[in-house]
Amino acid sequence: MAASGSGGSRADNGYGSQQPRRRKGPGALATAYLVIYNVVMTAGWLVIAVGLVRAYLAKGSYHSLYYSIEKPLKFFQTGALLEILHCAFGIVPSSVVLTAFQVMSRVFLTWAVTHSVKEVQSEDSVLLFVVAWTVTEIIRYSFYTFSLLNHLPYLIKWARYTLFIVLYPMGVSGELLTIYAALPFVRQSGLYSISLPNEYNFSFDYYTFLILVMISYIPIFPQLYFHMLHQRRKVLSHTEEHKKSE
Amino acid sequence: MQGRQKSSTPEHKGDLAAHGGVLSMSHNDTRSFFNFSQLGLSTGNAKSSPVLKHSKITYFEVEILDVHSKKQICIVDKVSPSSTLLDVKHKFHKACPQWYPSRVGLQLERNGPYLKDSINIQSLAVSSIITLYFTDLGQQVSWTTFFLIEYTGPLLIYLLFYIRLSTIYDQLESKKNFRHPVVHLACFCHCLHYIRHLLETLFVHKFSGGHTPLKNMIKGCAFYWGFTSWIAYYINHPRYTPPSFGHRQVSFAALAFLTCEAGNHFINVALAHQNHSGNKACFPSPTYNPFTWLFLLVSCPNYTYEVGSWISFTVMTQTLPVGIFAFLMVIQMSLWAQKKHKQYLKRFYPEVRRKAAMIPVIF
Repeated sequence: MAASGSGGSRADNGYGSQQPRRRKGPGALATAYLVIYNVVMTAGWLVIAVGLVRAYLAKGSYHSLYYSIEKPLKFFQTGALLEILHCAFGIVPSSVVLTAFQVMSRVFLTWAVTHSVKEVQSEDSVLLFVVAWTVTEIIRYSFYTFSLLNHLPYLIKWARYTLFIVLYPMGVSGELLTIYAALPFVRQSGLYSISLPNEYNFSFDYYTFLILVMISYIPIFPQLYFHMLHQRRKVLSHTEEHKKSE
Repeated sequence: MQGRQKSSTPEHKGDLAAHGGVLSMSHNDTRSFFNFSQLGLSTGNAKSSPVLKHSKITYFEVEILDVHSKKQICIVDKVSPSSTLLDVKHKFHKACPQWYPSRVGLQLERNGPYLKDSINIQSLAVSSIITLYFTDLGQQVSWTTFFLIEYTGPLLIYLLFYIRLSTIYDQLESKKNFRHPVVHLACFCHCLHYIRHLLETLFVHKFSGGHTPLKNMIKGCAFYWGFTSWIAYYINHPRYTPPSFGHRQVSFAALAFLTCEAGNHFINVALAHQNHSGNKACFPSPTYNPFTWLFLLVSCPNYTYEVGSWISFTVMTQTLPVGIFAFLMVIQMSLWAQKKHKQYLKRFYPEVRRKAAMIPVIF
């Protein structure tokens, strides 16, 4: 799922959000660290993008491109877990719970579905969400980098608040199709499942869990999508007013 | 004719009062005439206030604006200076019947705190018109209702699982398997816990707040009812595995559970007594009852005992879901205990200083 929602509130704090409390910005050291973090992440996702393009050109088809970018994808997507710590330590003014939720859903898909169920890795739906994530993350991390340096080009801001309209549904479709493709294999192998009777009187059915995850997309996706649309209207119209007044 | 006079004079009186003391100070003649006419009419008008001479009660007007749109909703007039915010809320309710007093949140400024019901109107007034911002706090429910519903749910849900409804468990397996005594004991303990809570809500606790939003009730009920279903499913399952250390583990845990339940009860009674006698000036003190001796070590022993109950229940049934529930309760109770401990530190500094919040010595 697009983690682009978490940064929205951060950017908006400078654009007249109606919070009476003043959030102190990060100190100089924290800003420097965040700039480095965001630059590294931008670079990482660029590596993944380049890897995808090169693999496509080498193979001639867009099937099974996952294997060529498997390692950087895992590394940089897992690296996003640091963002939860950023929120927890207060150097990024986002809600810990929201950020944790978004990052964990990405990490869950990367490790608990795509990595664990090997048969799914050759599916086309994997490419769908990997491309969506790559483009989103490159724009998002460069957006953060530039806004930390206070030199945000309008193009990046526009891209961040507009491209999600296509990328977000694309990513969600890819994720759902991947989970759906993984279901029969999970059922067959009994992956990550415990059944009764056992000493601790606990049971867990991963198959049912995945189905519940898929169902949970139904209420959550529209909410996040419309939230981003709302942010878009707020941020992009603000800039137009700002420009008019100049 | 008297009727006509009756109807005209209140307006006249209101008019003068609305302009505050300004008119009366500059127009002494008008004031003395007013007093004279008042005297004349007070004999006929039984409902007139005993205001005869020097009637300088400045009635306030409370203007209520919507906090988001800043539009005026209504003006509550004729508010006497000795009345409280609650009286204003009642008058507002008469004007706008859809917002009953407990649902109304009034602030002095748009981002300020909500004003308490007991606040005096006089203390708010800067002029004769007071402007307050109104927020609809949403559907409210009283604390008693809240707790009754929240605790009745788990009681009934657990019993539904205990009787092994055919829709939940496979009937064949249910009939076949012998039920270990710990399952019966667990049911008894669980019911005891919630019946005790219900009885305490009805007869012991005295709630200070009054109301809470409906959303809170739904969240609380979802949490308790959901977890009770989950734990009841496993404990009453035909394939339930009894604890590894057998009868010794069960008896020890059951004893601990009963001790914690008794302790919790006595602490709640002690706190309620203190509230009732109005003696909030000092921290509750331990009595001859050994269960209250925990007051010496800890500032919120009721949470300690509650946590103890759930941990003993976990050990007694040896069920991981109960453990998860107990863990979440520990976190929740610790947060509440910490908040309360901070309040106690402010109010009863010397006594509470060396006490822990919830777990003796440690936290």
